[in-house]
Amino acid sequence: MAKRNKLQNKKITAYQRRQNKKGYKFMLPWIIGFMLFTAFPFLATIYLSFTEVRQTILGFSIKFIGFNNYFMAFFENVDFVPNLLGYLYMIIPYTFVILVVSFILSYLLNKIEHGRGLLRTIYFLPVIIMSGPVMSQILDSASIAGEGEIVRNFTDIFIVQMIFSYSPKFARLLLSVFDQLSLILWFTGIPIILFINGLQKINPSLIEAAKIDSANGWQILWKITIPIIKPIALVVTIFTIANLGAFSTNPVYDLIKKATENTSGGLGLASTFAWIYSVIVLILIGLAFLILKNRDEVRRP
Amino acid sequence: MNENKFIRLIKREKFSFFLKLCIYFVLISISFVYLEPIFRMISMAFMSTTDVIDPSIDWIPHNPSINNIKVASTVLNLKKTLFNSFWFSALLATSQTIVSALTGFALSRFKFKFKNFWIIMIIVAFIIPMPLLMIPRLMMFISFQNILGFNLIGTPIPQVLMALLGQGVNSTILILIFYNFFNLIPYSLDEAAMLDGASPSQVFWKVAMKISASTVLVVFLFSFVWNWNETYVTGTLVRSSIDLLPSKLNMFDSAFESYAAGSRGTAQFRLNEAYKMSATLISITPLLILYAFVQKQFIQGVENTGITGE
Repeated sequence: MAKRNKLQNKKITAYQRRQNKKGYKFMLPWIIGFMLFTAFPFLATIYLSFTEVRQTILGFSIKFIGFNNYFMAFFENVDFVPNLLGYLYMIIPYTFVILVVSFILSYLLNKIEHGRGLLRTIYFLPVIIMSGPVMSQILDSASIAGEGEIVRNFTDIFIVQMIFSYSPKFARLLLSVFDQLSLILWFTGIPIILFINGLQKINPSLIEAAKIDSANGWQILWKITIPIIKPIALVVTIFTIANLGAFSTNPVYDLIKKATENTSGGLGLASTFAWIYSVIVLILIGLAFLILKNRDEVRRP
Repeated sequence: MNENKFIRLIKREKFSFFLKLCIYFVLISISFVYLEPIFRMISMAFMSTTDVIDPSIDWIPHNPSINNIKVASTVLNLKKTLFNSFWFSALLATSQTIVSALTGFALSRFKFKFKNFWIIMIIVAFIIPMPLLMIPRLMMFISFQNILGFNLIGTPIPQVLMALLGQGVNSTILILIFYNFFNLIPYSLDEAAMLDGASPSQVFWKVAMKISASTVLVVFLFSFVWNWNETYVTGTLVRSSIDLLPSKLNMFDSAFESYAAGSRGTAQFRLNEAYKMSATLISITPLLILYAFVQKQFIQGVENTGITGE
């Protein structure tokens, strides 16, 4: 009996070994690339952020200088902290607006029968043509069309004034969102497709059952649709944070790029900037994860 | 009683019709917000000089001319830049497609050790911000360059290498598209091939790839478009030694910015704006044409990533 068991074990391991071999054979290019171009640089940046890097004829001379770079980033460099705050001011409201707007749009798109394909095509279009220069072009075109002035006219609206009297900061944030609505909407292409896909997968009998129990549309939305769609909202949020960061609307990018181009001694500082920035992005993603994760699993005994 | 019910039904019909109308109204208005920048570019590109300066003309040019486009295309050095952009993006897209297919196939077909770990790593690779990785990558390539004795920076080699090893633009999404598509192919097909003595690589090339021609196309197009639009990595590694459309556009931008600094709304500013917009329009036109033909495949491609929860 024991022998047979052993034999079976051996058989399984042989099979497993073959599977391992085949799997890794196909995965190899990606794994090499990941090690070389992602994992190693990731760790190297942590080290580099504590050093001063100088480019010489022979290569790079790396000198360990402790926390000097961090000190410089936070207390001496005049641009870094404001740019970082600017990034946070941009990313938090933008992500929220993108999430809500793309959900509403896909919810509405799901309700109509005709022209859905055409509208979806229009909403997806920015994904294809969006690039850094095009984005900055749109920002410029907003200023030429005098959209800024239109927003200034918004301050005459009663509700905006009301919000302004409570909290000027929030009102300004709201206005900045309206100011760059075109820009924000351009990031909703992929989220809308994901949301529509999720909405179509909701079992109609679930909604029918709720209707029989005399639930109205509002209740169905909050008690059925949104809980089911929540995992997709998480994916959309993470995608949006990663995607938004990668465009020239991101003030930190410019700073890092300029520091990188300064090869005579800026690389160490640049990696400090990059490292602080990345920690903040990862914290944001972690927060999104905490907010949007399914609470059912916790509640279950 | 019965009549009452009937009237109520009609009322409800009317209400739902009204609701639908509202939904259409909202959706169509919002689609205008999406398209407004593009309309603005088109309208500006076809204005003549007098139209651009005239503040009373907002959308439709009085004397349409293609002067702006002519100026923009000479500044962009259009023929050469367009050609460069095409082969550069196509090269990177081909390498990315191959490696994503291989990785997706490995994940969907074999149960190897630490598979889940690698799947998580593939997703992590998407989340890590680019600048964090770019600095050591740049240093690595400069060191290689010093060892090898010929230039790597300023050539497409570093980016092709990265794309071939699966670290190009949005590689994660491309891998997920392939992974989900291969999951849909029944395993019995592989088994049949293997019974006839096919090796795994033969199964990959002769069975899996043959069926997935449409997916290959989708992944290639996505990769092409993203590489076309990518400026950060290209700007760091290739810099200005190859004239590519988006990076040239970036320089165009900064060149004109110095002209128009601090004089928003003046005639000179508007004129420069018109040139810039024509340049932008030129740079996105190839993508718009592409999208017109294959928009359905693009959208299905995103749906097939399967990140919507299977």
